Amino acid sequence: MSAGLYIHVPFCASVCPYCDFAVTLAGEERRQAYVAGIGREAALAAADGLKFDTVYLGGGTPSALAADQLGEILGAVRGRLQVGEDTWTFLEINPEDVSAASVSAWRELEVRTVSLGVQSFDDAALGFLGRRHTADDARRALDRLREGGFATVSLDLIYGLPGQSADGWCRQLEEAAARSADHLSCYQLTIHSGTVFGRRQARGSLGEAVEPVQAELFLLTHRVLAELGYEGYEVSNFATAPRHRSRHNLKYWSHEPYLGLGPSAHSFVGRRRFWNQRRLRAWQRAVDAGCRPLEGSEELGDAELALEAIMLGLRTADGVDLGSLRSRYGVDLVELNRRAIERFCDGGHLVLDSGRLRPTVSGMAIADTLARELEVGASG
Amino acid sequence: MDNVRTFCIIAHIDHGKSTLADRLIQHCGAVEARDFRDQILDSMDIERERGITIKSNSVTLDYVARDGRSYHLNLIDTPGHVDFSHEVRRSLMSCEGALLLVDASQGVEAQTVANLYLALEYDLEIVPVINKIDLPAADVERVRTEIEEDLGLDSDGAVLCSAKEGIGIEDVLESVVHRLPPPTGDPAAPLKALIFDAEYDPYRGAVLLVRVMEGTLRPGQEVLLMHTDAHYQVEEVGLLQLRRVRTAELAAGAVGYVIAGVKAVSDIDVGDTITEAERPAGEPVPGYRPAKPVVFSSIYPMSNEEYPELAKALEKLKLNDAALTYDKDSSAALGFGFRCGFLGLLHLEIVQERLRREYDLSLILSAPSVRYRVTFADGSVRWIDNPSEFPEPGSIERTEEPFIKASVMMPERYLGQVMELCRERRGAQTNFHYLAVGRVELISEMPLADVLFDFNDRLKSVTQGYGSFDYEMLDYRDTDLVKVDILVNGEPVDALAQLVHRDKARPRALHYCERLAETIPRQQFKIAIQGAIGGQVIARTTINAFRKDVTAKCYGGDITRKRKLLEKQKKGKKRMKMVGSVEIPQSAFVAVLKTDKD
Ligand SMILES: Nc1nc2c(ncn2[C@@H]2O[C@H](COP(=O)(O)OP(=O)(O)OP(=O)(O)O)[C@@H](O)[C@H]2O)c(=O)[nH]1
Ligand code: SF4
Ligand SMILES: [Mg+2]
Repeated sequence: MSAGLYIHVPFCASVCPYCDFAVTLAGEERRQAYVAGIGREAALAAADGLKFDTVYLGGGTPSALAADQLGEILGAVRGRLQVGEDTWTFLEINPEDVSAASVSAWRELEVRTVSLGVQSFDDAALGFLGRRHTADDARRALDRLREGGFATVSLDLIYGLPGQSADGWCRQLEEAAARSADHLSCYQLTIHSGTVFGRRQARGSLGEAVEPVQAELFLLTHRVLAELGYEGYEVSNFATAPRHRSRHNLKYWSHEPYLGLGPSAHSFVGRRRFWNQRRLRAWQRAVDAGCRPLEGSEELGDAELALEAIMLGLRTADGVDLGSLRSRYGVDLVELNRRAIERFCDGGHLVLDSGRLRPTVSGMAIADTLARELEVGASG
Repeated sequence: MDNVRTFCIIAHIDHGKSTLADRLIQHCGAVEARDFRDQILDSMDIERERGITIKSNSVTLDYVARDGRSYHLNLIDTPGHVDFSHEVRRSLMSCEGALLLVDASQGVEAQTVANLYLALEYDLEIVPVINKIDLPAADVERVRTEIEEDLGLDSDGAVLCSAKEGIGIEDVLESVVHRLPPPTGDPAAPLKALIFDAEYDPYRGAVLLVRVMEGTLRPGQEVLLMHTDAHYQVEEVGLLQLRRVRTAELAAGAVGYVIAGVKAVSDIDVGDTITEAERPAGEPVPGYRPAKPVVFSSIYPMSNEEYPELAKALEKLKLNDAALTYDKDSSAALGFGFRCGFLGLLHLEIVQERLRREYDLSLILSAPSVRYRVTFADGSVRWIDNPSEFPEPGSIERTEEPFIKASVMMPERYLGQVMELCRERRGAQTNFHYLAVGRVELISEMPLADVLFDFNDRLKSVTQGYGSFDYEMLDYRDTDLVKVDILVNGEPVDALAQLVHRDKARPRALHYCERLAETIPRQQFKIAIQGAIGGQVIARTTINAFRKDVTAKCYGGDITRKRKLLEKQKKGKKRMKMVGSVEIPQSAFVAVLKTDKD
């Protein structure tokens, strides 16, 4: 099983009011130190012995780094870790960083999937979200990337904004399709405490959409995108063809190993999950001192792994592979949950076929409940 | 024995009993200054937090009188709230005299009268004490008149004091030693010691608080508990001086504690008499009238595994709260529990709180109910306080509910509003008369069930705190009682069923339905909540199905957190109560069954 390599680039030009990622506004000096640090961390992690076939530069805003810095990072990991020839490289990009020059530089770095943080084709929404680009910037960026010849062009959109109508949201989806995005990530707005939006929510001046509206928009999203030729292969991810699915993210959902470099990145190797220091300074201090910059780790037992496999599998259209659940973790899901599964199948939330338990779209919408309702056995 | 005085302080709630006890304790030097705290006899946390006395508490003091003689004073501080009058009664039985405290600004109130009558029932010598004379609103002359007219006591003998400011404390002590009689009893006679309270000590077993009436108690004695016929050997005796102080003996007239290695809580019956096995007394001390509970509720542990602990806790708590009664009960929704009887709603609340704090139990309580008398067509009669036992309506000839005679004392200006309040609560035969200028007593005959819920709170707010309330049981009267069932998706939830007057059935049912709709989390299907009498639906609400709960993102860094949340939810789910296929969290029961404010 080949592993995925995730590299967290924590730099952003400004912090969006809804963002709860590990990000920093740190300037050039610390960016340079960081780039060198990734190289060191990669060297330390080589001992894990993983072989990689995906590399994902996420953030933060990886495109905020200069092309030669990205080159240095990719060079370092390709040199120090076992990164295969045919590795698929992903890059997250913000529209304001897209230019003819940057596009060709990224091409040279052998990036195959670019994922553009469009968020919305509506200027008012972009203003609300505190983004630094306009809708036209996003359109131009998208055209450039299209012309750049990347294997897959993906965009991120956010929905469920206060005041956004179902029609308004449909138009966003139609525009994304019309601009021939190969892949879409559509996230319903989630307000996290500790963010600017979180504070506004605490004061009562902002709130997530109420559940019936959320449900409506969620189902609408899947329905409209299906009509536009996108397969919703995960709760928030859509692709026009299987080859455009995010093969890196799929590793998270199917319990394949992954290694994370950079602040806050998580890794999963064997039965162990471990995660890095969340803050750039703490991470930097550790790697500069020649230590793995770990903040925590856990060793997972069969019951925990099985629970994760179910929880993750039910988020995807492919569902849970019952055979592998049994062989890897010794859990016979159907045996343990005959009545519940029957009830959810009757309710149109689950489908049981050819060895898999798949959620329907309405099942995916309640994936958290399904995971909670299904018994995993002893310790679940 | 001439130098012993055993007395209690009785009064309406908040008139300053515990504060006076503080001053007496300090005056007698029974506590070091650095160990002192206000209302020192209110030793339970709940008492301190609520600022009220719940349990009687005794202390032995040494007092050197003005004439130079030394005295042993056994002081018992008592609670003022009606719900704890059982505590007062038990204290009175071990005393020769009582200080009847009256607040100089509030004057005589309902429990002042009620407690005076209790004390007279036991033939106690009474010394009236007017407290809080420091208050600007103090009106000693008016209070003297009330003592004469409402209480029929000689007000010339009233001692004036301010417990708070420490004024007149010595006068109080002097009247204790000169006006209250010493105990009688012969230290050489066969032993007779009244158990008037008990508590459970995890190391020593039951600690019995006794008043020795006759004879002498000593360590090593073989003793017999006369009601339960249990034999024990006395290990230790002593006095209560804010802590247990071991002594060589407790002779007739003494108030103190006995430890006899009693581990079987069921052997202890508060009110029982201890005698010597070798030389038993002829008759036990006349026992207490057992407390007659008026409010009933079923108590269930939050999780069924805690049932045995609840059983043990109730047994031990009962030692320390003789007014509590309980029996096994069970519910389809909530599992095994106990049907408990209480002297009032505050009593219920305190028991629940003590179980939580002292025994670390979290509980669900069913809606409080009174006890009804049901007569069947064949003439047989059954007493019913538990909705689950309510018979088929067709078989019932008549149903009666308890009525009380409520007495409300208040300044005249609140009369109108209080009469209105009584009318709302189905009060009948409402009358009033003047007690003194500007003060009236209103008498009303009301169903107890209508007083249970927040009547006292409403009264306090209507009269801005100047009204006081007391009641006595009157009789049973015909009523139109119905059993209201609450159904969730068609399944009755037995723990939520209740007995109410037909006129109140609809509002009560609707209230329950709405509360449930607020507290049951939405599920993947629609939930119908109905209130029904027999098969007829009288109230309904629905909880719409939810269709989405999945979080938007779940990538590498989210998995651990999400799994942990899921594990927690799965644990919580195990504690949910299932009614049909609907999960009801305990919090819903707690919210719905919280003492109603309707
Ligand atoms: N001004 C003034 N306040 C007093 C006096 N005696 C007591 N108080 C206050 O009255 C309140 C009630 O006092 P407690 O001693 O707790 O009354 P209690 O009679 O023991 O009350 P229960 O035990 O609940 O029946 C407290 O706030 C005291 O500080 C006094 O002489 N003067
Ligand atoms: S650009 Fe992305 S990572 Fe940076 S602050 Fe905004 S949302 Fe967060
Ligand atoms: Mg008190």
